[in-house]
Amino acid sequence: MSQFERDLRESLRHREPPSGFAEKVLAKSRESETRHTARPWLAAAAAVFLMIGGGIFVEQQRQQAKDEKAKEQLMVALRITGSKLRDVQERLSTIQQRAVQRQSNP
Amino acid sequence: MTKNEFESVVREHQKMVYSIACNFFHNDAIAEEVAQDVFLQLFKQHRTVQLGTHCVAWLRRSTVHRCIDAMRRSSFRQEIQVDCLPDIASEVPETDLLLQESLRRLIASLPEKPRAVLILRYGEDMDVEEIGRTLQMPARTVWSHLQRGTAMIREKAMRYLKEKVLEGDRR
Repeated sequence: MSQFERDLRESLRHREPPSGFAEKVLAKSRESETRHTARPWLAAAAAVFLMIGGGIFVEQQRQQAKDEKAKEQLMVALRITGSKLRDVQERLSTIQQRAVQRQSNP
Repeated sequence: MTKNEFESVVREHQKMVYSIACNFFHNDAIAEEVAQDVFLQLFKQHRTVQLGTHCVAWLRRSTVHRCIDAMRRSSFRQEIQVDCLPDIASEVPETDLLLQESLRRLIASLPEKPRAVLILRYGEDMDVEEIGRTLQMPARTVWSHLQRGTAMIREKAMRYLKEKVLEGDRR
């Protein structure tokens, strides 16, 4: 090994980290662990919240669709009833006209 | 690796991880930050990293890669000017310390790859094959970075000495 290489080796030898370095690292690792253990609970709570919220929304949508359908059926029924009533009214007026004609020309 | 084992790994290898980062940046604050990140990364992966040589290799690889990442991210370039190096003529009794300090600065001014190779070769006493495995490059590439790095340091050091000699002649 040349003198230059020995000098390089000497200048790159290991140095002590600042005091308290290991303690700082261990404290941060504990802190990150707490964060990580809290996260699943948070995720579970968010999932439950979303599920409940989603369920309510879906139920509301279903109810609204049901109401719409009922309203539509009622409208159809009313339309049918209206046309039937018109038919009956027309027949009645025809019968009435015939009766009047019969009375005037016996 | 268990959590208790992680604690003993931090205590045992803190000097190595810190020194690699410190030699890379020649800056204590950045070195401390990088070394902390490396150990926190190890903590996250402690289940997959085995104790012993695997752990040491992991720490060395991770430290060098983090140093390179940190340097690229912050565009941290240390262009050491010859004038910034310590004045040998005025500090004769501490020549060795000054030489070491000058060399450290010159190493920290090298491009990232030759710098990493030199630190692993002379700071960690690793051979070319081991460095190749750590930095994921062929041994021939490691060898050429090593030669390039030492040549650059020699050239910078020579320039520095010439300037000092010329300065001395003028006086």
